[in-house]
Amino acid sequence: MSSIEALYLTFLTTGFAVGFGHCIGMCGPIVVSFSLNLKTKGVMAPNLLYHVGRISTYAVLGGVMGATGAFTRITTGIGGLQKGAMIFAGLIIILMGLGMGGWIPLGQIFGNYCRPEGIIARSFRKLSSIQSTAAFLPLGLLLGLLPCGPVYTALIAAAGLGMETQNTFNAVLSGMGLMTVFGIGTVPSLLMVAKLSGMGWLKSRDIIYKIGSILMIGVGIYFLIKGLRF
Amino acid sequence: MLCSDDKTKSHPVQMRSPSRNTCLLSGLWIGMLFFFTMILPITAQATDHSRMINCDVHHGTCTQKLQGMDIILDISPKPVKAMTDLKFTITLTGEQDVSEPFIDLGMPGMKMGPNRVLLKSNGKGIYSGTGTIVRCPSGKRIWKATVTVPDKGSVEFIFDVIY
Repeated sequence: MSSIEALYLTFLTTGFAVGFGHCIGMCGPIVVSFSLNLKTKGVMAPNLLYHVGRISTYAVLGGVMGATGAFTRITTGIGGLQKGAMIFAGLIIILMGLGMGGWIPLGQIFGNYCRPEGIIARSFRKLSSIQSTAAFLPLGLLLGLLPCGPVYTALIAAAGLGMETQNTFNAVLSGMGLMTVFGIGTVPSLLMVAKLSGMGWLKSRDIIYKIGSILMIGVGIYFLIKGLRF
Repeated sequence: MLCSDDKTKSHPVQMRSPSRNTCLLSGLWIGMLFFFTMILPITAQATDHSRMINCDVHHGTCTQKLQGMDIILDISPKPVKAMTDLKFTITLTGEQDVSEPFIDLGMPGMKMGPNRVLLKSNGKGIYSGTGTIVRCPSGKRIWKATVTVPDKGSVEFIFDVIY
């Protein structure tokens, strides 16, 4: 086994380990919120699309790290984007919680009765259609930018791989590969959380749905505050 | 109510007559949701590791003993900030015939993935290398540098960093 393959294996197992130890605590609330918002559909397809998006973003970041070998410079550069992603995650979860609980008529305001113009209005209309399975791919792409300690650690390794590799193309590929296997390692734990929280027959009970909505709003506020402080 | 058989209540989804198992599972489900969405993030943040701090990296070096050796850790530039390139220097005194030590960076009580700083000898028992302490969005600032001297063992320096 080459040193790169050994590193891939290390980060695949790291992703798996931090998935159950770290991601469930930090990113689990997002997955729970999305799964709760899927009223009637199965949770697996949307969640898998979300993870494909998230891992694609990791791979792009890994490729950039591999090409440049400059972890701190790149992360400083994308700091604003990460802050924005965290605030966006908070807002979208709050909106989904409010919409799911029936406290704001997202569909009436943005979806069913008007065709709003302008970027913000159109964006909110998109938010109201978040129950569409396809929407989870761009959501994953965006939320792959969420700041996360273990992701940073993997990016440091990707940057280190880039510095060790002579050929830029190979450096990009190795950085992308490392971040991809790391991301894949984190998927089982989050899918498990999604599956548990998306048990359809329980979600059909009104009181549970309301409690879930309140929890979502709490999580959204938590992310919003974290994002503003980041 | 969650476990009453109120069929008069209007609801878009047809309500089923709940059994005892349904009530139990509903309770478990709510508990699980509460755990994943509220308890885990809060406990991840609230656990106080500040009592474990044994090193003030912002104002000088820190020393620990390992098998008769003094292991001195220095991190620069000071104050020590996360997400910046840092120079780690280890000085070993009292023992000259050792392999190159290395440093593993992590957080007490939270898995952050492998982050190893490899050190190279500068002569006279002094070893240095560069690394980065990453920022944890939970807000926790207590970090741990585990210095391992091959065939001798390891010591832990626990300190806070600036985000």
